[in-house]
Amino acid sequence: MFCIAAFIVLVIISIFSARYRRLAKKAWGCVARRLTFRPCDTKFKDELKSRLLAHVALKKPQFVKAASIGIEVGSFVIVALTVWSLYVVFKSGLNLYVYGTCNPANAASCSLGAEACSIETAKPSFVTSIKELKLHSWLANEFSGLGETIAAVPTRMQDWRAEDYLPANATYEQTYSNTKPTALDIFDPGCQYCRQLYRNQLQANFASKYNVSYIAYPIANPKTGDGYKFRNSMIITRYLEAMKIKPLIKAKTPADWQILNRIFTKADSDGTSYQQKINIVLNGDETQTLLQKWMHEMGYADDDTSAIRTLAFSDRVSNVIENNRKIVEHKVKTVKIPTLIFNGQRHGGVVDIQDLK
Amino acid sequence: MFGSKQKNNSTAEATSRLEDFDYLNPKSIYLDSACQSLRPKSVCAALQEYYTKYNACGGRVKYDWGQKVDEAIDEARGAVLRLLHLSSKDYVTSFTLNTTYGINLLLQQLPQGFYKRVITSDIEHNSVFLPTMTLATRLGVERIVLSRTPTGELTYSSDQLEKAIVVVNSTSNIDGRKLSSIKELVRDAHERGGIVIIDAAQTMAHNHEMLIGCAADAICFSAHKMYAPSLGVIVCRKSLLRSLDYQIVGGGMVSNVTENNFKLASEDPASQLEPGLQAFGEIIAFSQALKWLDEIRPFGEDRSKYINSLGNELFEGLKSLPDVNVINAGPTSVVSLYSSKMDAHRLAIFLSSGGIMARSGYFCCHYYLREKLNLPPLLRFSIGLNNTHQDITTTINTVEKLMRSA
Ligand SMILES: Cc1ncc(COP(=O)(O)O)c(C=O)c1O
Repeated sequence: MFCIAAFIVLVIISIFSARYRRLAKKAWGCVARRLTFRPCDTKFKDELKSRLLAHVALKKPQFVKAASIGIEVGSFVIVALTVWSLYVVFKSGLNLYVYGTCNPANAASCSLGAEACSIETAKPSFVTSIKELKLHSWLANEFSGLGETIAAVPTRMQDWRAEDYLPANATYEQTYSNTKPTALDIFDPGCQYCRQLYRNQLQANFASKYNVSYIAYPIANPKTGDGYKFRNSMIITRYLEAMKIKPLIKAKTPADWQILNRIFTKADSDGTSYQQKINIVLNGDETQTLLQKWMHEMGYADDDTSAIRTLAFSDRVSNVIENNRKIVEHKVKTVKIPTLIFNGQRHGGVVDIQDLK
Repeated sequence: MFGSKQKNNSTAEATSRLEDFDYLNPKSIYLDSACQSLRPKSVCAALQEYYTKYNACGGRVKYDWGQKVDEAIDEARGAVLRLLHLSSKDYVTSFTLNTTYGINLLLQQLPQGFYKRVITSDIEHNSVFLPTMTLATRLGVERIVLSRTPTGELTYSSDQLEKAIVVVNSTSNIDGRKLSSIKELVRDAHERGGIVIIDAAQTMAHNHEMLIGCAADAICFSAHKMYAPSLGVIVCRKSLLRSLDYQIVGGGMVSNVTENNFKLASEDPASQLEPGLQAFGEIIAFSQALKWLDEIRPFGEDRSKYINSLGNELFEGLKSLPDVNVINAGPTSVVSLYSSKMDAHRLAIFLSSGGIMARSGYFCCHYYLREKLNLPPLLRFSIGLNNTHQDITTTINTVEKLMRSA
């Protein structure tokens, strides 16, 4: 263990100082022996250890034994940390490749991937596992996560066609045209990055090139029981699905898209964007009142509005939403919201305007 | 510059080093003189002077610098013979790389068909132990490894000396034990038609007197163990030189060369062991080292006495420490030890961080120490004129302290 730790440390310092390269080479000799299950070259090990202990021996000889044990423990820690960091780098790299984020459990925490809202998972952290004496389940989780990533490698390489993932009752931002390919935007109405992606699409005039459809996917938050990451996202999703069933006749833009446009681009009279207002200020009832007000403005008759309100909380809509959730989680298997499928690829997170043009 | 000018009071002696070594960091304690001694300033100056004032090839040029080099080299050869009280009628001094090379030059060129066996001893340095093996193989004769007594005497029967090539050291590099009966050995060998080649590497710095009048056929030693630059010296009987079957040949040693033959320069027998250009600067500085050794009186004392008193202190001090096994039968300028509690290499590294330089391992005597005595690696202190009483006290105290960490 000491030789391996010495090698790791020496390799790092020999990056900066040529003096240590000779020692690092020697240490490699030891490591190579260890890797092939031969005993470490004791000469090198003893010499290096003695050099480390020499100062203690001269100043406080009685502490040499303790310092020697300290070196062994320190070596173990260095090796363990190195192995662990190599593992994390490998895992993160693979995740970045497969999912577009180095941390699929919390995409927002990975600065290497495109900005996105995470889909939180209920996996216990290392610290909680230790506290609860459940290290084994933490380890099992850790490696099953890696297993999932490896299993998902082929999804990264496949040819993505939005048509294969369209929800029932798909609506399009602009009138469907046979000559345009289809794009599918999966978003949570409460997620600020989804708002960003929507605005990028507007600026890039994305809908003129693609038949843009969407799946509204309220991100669940297991930490708050039956709650959602954005508290009113589920209500909005219910209304959107209900409006798809009861569309606004003769509208140029489908009613659900009009609602999205308001959430993502408009602000209240006090200057707060509606998305923020819905996320932070309004409760469920107030959100419904706002939606109903908008429906009225958009031209829905009052009867239709109340029918939609009922429909929104019906089993029918619940089933649609459940089916959509399955599409997102089991077919698209994304961990980043928004996800935009177009041009043969699945993009997790915000896509630049340039890339949308 | 020389020892006679040294300070001569005892308080100065306790703390200060000989002026000749005052370039040394006061905290550095060099105790590896058996490997190579430190060089006094006057020796360094002589070397520097050659390089900067008359840097010429010797033995082959007519310009002034070269003439000066030739004179200095002749002086060095003569000084060695005078030191050992040898006549230039019978002996010559040749220079080479080191003791090992000197021994090999002789042994590997001894002629076939005359000698019956090769004799050496168990406490030889590899520079003797190994070449006697290849020699015996080349000549197709037996090789006998004799034992030495704890005081250094060689145990042999005179029959064994019949036409024998005897190669032994006069002083051991492990514990400084001496071959005191060297004169008797040479006499017995000569009576039986044998020859004796002495490895005097550890003798010349502080005990050359024991070789005076021994009549050995060759004496090989290293100038770098006697306060001079890196250089080997071979003192050889002319008759032995004449008998050699020269295999290692080249420039500077022939009087004539034809298409398929050459004639060695018989008028200059010393050159026959000196193929190619020599280390002129080192030879000249070696001459200076001999002069310095002749004149030095450390703190007014006789230099052998001074070395012996340091050796005594070191031996007694180390022997009194618990968990330390001193190998030496008695005090000498070389003291080796081991401890069952701490590896010698670790001890050497620990000492080194305290500024104390000592050797650890088997000192090229693997057969004797590891095979025969089955000892662990040893720690060796070897004293030189650079050392002080304070060095010895500090060393003993440091070893004692370090042993507490075991
Ligand atoms: C007794 C003895 N013989 C021979 C040698 C070899 O000397 P060199 O290495 O100068 O050839 C040594 C060197 O330590 C020695 O101590």
